[in-house]
Amino acid sequence: MSKYNELFYLGKKFMVDTNIEFKGSSFTLSVLHLKTSILAEIRAGLATKVAQAPDFFYLVPIVVNIEQLDDTIEFQAVKSLIEEFNFTFVGFTGAVPKEQRQLIRELGFSFVNTAKASANKKTAALSGSATEVIPEEAHTAQNNFFTDKVHRGQIRSGQQVYAKDQNLVVIGSVSAGAEVIADGNIHVYGSLRGRAIAGATGHHRAQIYCQNLEAELVSINGNYWLSESMEDHWGTPVYINLTDNELSSSKLI
Amino acid sequence: MARIIVVTSGKGGVGKTTSSAAIGLGLALKGHKVVLIDFDIGLRNLDLIMGCERRVVYDFVNVINGEATLNQALIKDKRVSSLSILPASQTRDKDALNKENVGKVLEELGKSYDFIVCDSPAGIEAGAMMALYYADEAIVTTNPEVSSVRDSDRILGMLASRSQRAELGLEPIKEHLLLTRYSPKRVEEGEMLSVEDVEDILSIPLLGVIPESQAVLKASNAGEPVILDKESDAGQAYQDVIDRLLGETVDFRFLLAEKKGIFSRMFGG
Repeated sequence: MSKYNELFYLGKKFMVDTNIEFKGSSFTLSVLHLKTSILAEIRAGLATKVAQAPDFFYLVPIVVNIEQLDDTIEFQAVKSLIEEFNFTFVGFTGAVPKEQRQLIRELGFSFVNTAKASANKKTAALSGSATEVIPEEAHTAQNNFFTDKVHRGQIRSGQQVYAKDQNLVVIGSVSAGAEVIADGNIHVYGSLRGRAIAGATGHHRAQIYCQNLEAELVSINGNYWLSESMEDHWGTPVYINLTDNELSSSKLI
Repeated sequence: MARIIVVTSGKGGVGKTTSSAAIGLGLALKGHKVVLIDFDIGLRNLDLIMGCERRVVYDFVNVINGEATLNQALIKDKRVSSLSILPASQTRDKDALNKENVGKVLEELGKSYDFIVCDSPAGIEAGAMMALYYADEAIVTTNPEVSSVRDSDRILGMLASRSQRAELGLEPIKEHLLLTRYSPKRVEEGEMLSVEDVEDILSIPLLGVIPESQAVLKASNAGEPVILDKESDAGQAYQDVIDRLLGETVDFRFLLAEKKGIFSRMFGG
C-alpha cells in the first residue's frame, strides 16, 4: 500500500443560479493505491499507517486507486473500511476498463479522472499489461526513430532508390519509370511521377509526402493505388497515409 | 583538352545523327578543330548525312583492332578543313568496341582536336554506353513526345551513373537538352508536349529547340548538314545551338506558331 498526493480536477465551471456558482478548481488529494483486494490485508495496512500519525489522517479526503487490482473488488466494503479509519471517502480512480467505471457509477460512487490519466496509461503499457493500443504506440516510437536517407537530385527513369530501415527524403523529382522505396516515410521535394513504396517492410504508420502527385503507383505497407485512384489530388501537393487499412490522401498545403 | 560531347537520346529516330552532323560542322565553321565519331557500329549513317559515304576506306573498328591507323581512317570534310569524320563499321556489331581501346583512340584524337562529337546509337546497351562513357558533355536529343522524353530520362540516369566521370567520382557530365522536331502549332493545339513540359520533366538546361522542318529531310538526302541551309529555320536554330555551346547567350527562336497576317486571314490562307 502506498499513498501519494496527486492533482485532481473536481469539476467544470457552470452557472446554475445567482445564489450558487459551480467553478472548476484543482485540489491536492491523497490517493490510496490498493495492491490487493483482500479486505483483511487492506485493513492491516491501513491500521499500521494510521497508527503512525492518527491526527494527520483524521477526516482526510481520500481517493482510492484500483488500477493494480485485476480481480473483483467489493467497492462498498472498501468504502466502509476507509471510513472506519476516519477518512472522508471521495471516490475511485485509476486506469480501469470502461465496464468497471460504469459499474462503480451504478453502485453510487464517483469515479475521478486524474489529469495524469494519459501518463498513467503509458506507464501501464510499458510495464507490459497488454492492451490493443500498445503495439501501435510502440510502433509510432519506432517510426519516429527512423533516420533519414537524403537523396539530392532527380531520380531518373529506370533508377531505384531504397532506404533500408530509414525514411527517404528526395530533394528533386522522381521521374516516371523510377522507383523510390523506404521502410519508413517517403518525402519528395519535387514531383512524384514514378512509384513510391513506403513502409516496405510492414509499417502501417508510414506516410508519403510530395509536392506534386503524378505517380504511377503509391503503396504503404502493401496497400497500393494506381494513378487512376489519385484523381482527387492529381498534380497537387499531397500526403498519403493509411487509415483503417485503406490509403487516403490529403492536401498538403 | 578536347571537349568530348556525346549526342544521345535513348530512343531511335529522334535526330541524333542529324544533330551530330549539324553541330560538328557548325563548330568547325567557327574555326574549331572537330572530329565526328559514328558509334553506331553496324548501322552506319553519319557518313551519309555528311555526304562522305564514298570516301570510307577504313573505319572505327579497324582502328580499334589495329588494322589501320587513325589518320588512315579519318575522313577530312571537303567543305571545312578543320572537320574530320571517323565512320562506323557497317559489317561489324557493337561488341567490336571495348572501353580500353576506345579510350586510347579518344586520347589520341584529343591531342589534335578541340571537339570530339560522338554520335551515339539508340538504346541503352553496350553501344550507347560506349559512346557516353568518356563524355564530358552530353546533348540529350529529345522529341516533344512522351516516349522520347521517358527514354531521355533513362539516358540521363545512365549518364549520371555509368560514365567514367561517375565511376571516378569526378564532376558529372554536363547535360544539355536539345529538343528536335518541335512544332509550335501542334503544341498550341495540345497535340505535342511544350518546351516547358519537357524541361519540367527532365529538368536539365535547354541547349536548343529545332523546329520541325522540311529542310532537314532534304539536307539528309543531299548529304549536306542542315546547318549549311542558312535560309531554313532548322539551320538557324542549329546555328544558335553552336553559339550557346561556345558560351554565348542567345534568345530562343521558333517557339511560337506564326501569327496569321491580315491578308492570309482575309483570303483564308
